[in-house]
Amino acid sequence: MRPFHPQYILETLPQLLPFLPVTAAIVVGTVFFGSLLGALLAAGKIRKGKVGQFLANLYIYVIRCIPSIVLLFLVYYGLPELLNAFGIDINDADKAFFVITTFSLLFAATMAEVFRSAYEAVDRGQREAAVSVGLTEFQAFYRIVLPQCIRVAIPNFTNALVNLMKEGSLAYTIGLIDIMGKGQLIIGQNQSSYSLEVYLALFILYWVLTVLIEKGAALWERGLYRELKKGV
Amino acid sequence: MNLDLQFMAETFIDVLHGIPVTFQIVIVTLLVSAPLGFLMTVTKLGDGRIGRRAAAAYVSFVRGTPVVLQILFLYSLLPTLLNYLIKEVCGLSYNIFTVNPILYAYVVFILNTTAVLSEVFRSALLTVNKGQMEAALSIGMNRFQAYVRIIIPQALTAALPNICNTTVNLLKSTSLAFMMTVKDVTAIAKIDASFGYNYLEAYLVIFFIYILLCSLVQGVFHLTERAAAAYKKPASVRNARRVFS
Repeated sequence: MRPFHPQYILETLPQLLPFLPVTAAIVVGTVFFGSLLGALLAAGKIRKGKVGQFLANLYIYVIRCIPSIVLLFLVYYGLPELLNAFGIDINDADKAFFVITTFSLLFAATMAEVFRSAYEAVDRGQREAAVSVGLTEFQAFYRIVLPQCIRVAIPNFTNALVNLMKEGSLAYTIGLIDIMGKGQLIIGQNQSSYSLEVYLALFILYWVLTVLIEKGAALWERGLYRELKKGV
Repeated sequence: MNLDLQFMAETFIDVLHGIPVTFQIVIVTLLVSAPLGFLMTVTKLGDGRIGRRAAAAYVSFVRGTPVVLQILFLYSLLPTLLNYLIKEVCGLSYNIFTVNPILYAYVVFILNTTAVLSEVFRSALLTVNKGQMEAALSIGMNRFQAYVRIIIPQALTAALPNICNTTVNLLKSTSLAFMMTVKDVTAIAKIDASFGYNYLEAYLVIFFIYILLCSLVQGVFHLTERAAAAYKKPASVRNARRVFS
């Protein structure tokens, strides 16, 4: 068996860290576009329209059944051809474009459920009371309902975010260089001789990131509850 | 955009051969992970501080790191480690590198699913009122009987939707088994596609295959949920059904 060098884990970490912004950018971009689409889907589910409900449910059902890697490859190979049919050429597009597109499609389905459950968790009387004291429909939503929705949604959103970050590591399979991609590059440069050490360094990074996200979310949630107890 | 329909039809037939492999991974993983996960739940809910800490750390680690990383790590560690143990430590001449790679897939997915299921079981056990256990003990059952006859049947109805979720996620994760050279649905599609660069067609085919497989799993769980919740209906209704059916 080949020797194992724990110190190489420490030597790898500084090489991986410069690529953390790439991983973060993928997550942030996905959260943005995925949440927009997710809000649209949630609206489709909440509104009474039969067609909207059917389409939203169908979308969520299909996405729930698809492994991320299959959708990633499908978008990577399929989207250029699809857009080509409309005369749009994206063959030179950055790999990040395909990654963010894929994960936004996936993230939207999760977020739709997060939004819907958060919206339904807030009592209808809250909106009615707000409107009855003279707030407009928009004010009632923005000032009364939304803050309560956010508080309910935090744990589910955190879960979705952590999953997104983990699934995002698949982006290396289409050649994106995030921390995972850089790790693979390092392994390749050394003829696979330090693979275990590099993987362990990646384990540490991902684990730390997850714990940080979860702790941050817990603090945020507690802060919101404290505000509630203080009274406005 | 023109799709090679004949290729898609051929790939579809090819990929069907991968379905037993995919289900084999899912079923073996669930069968091994369920008891292990339950043991871990008992450890978590138990009094031992070290056990609780260790279980919590394990779950946090497994759920905090990508499955693909776990696969890559174990797949580069296990074969050489086992080879070393067999050749150097035990002095046997068995060649570990000829072993079916599906075994490594089992290891990865069992390690993963055990952690997830332990959380599922924990939240399910907590939904059962404490009085149920006390009542069972008070009429002379022992702890084991109380668990098997009273607690678990009730916890199961609460756990089934989450177990269904876990199974669906596991089914999706098995699509990564191709990294360990397991010939599952995804691997076969990839191989077929690589001959003529028909990746789009191949992935479209497995896109539909996974929807089918996933629907099948959800259907089975739907029926199980109904059967498991039967005790919630009053006995008179249940007996009436039996008379009339």
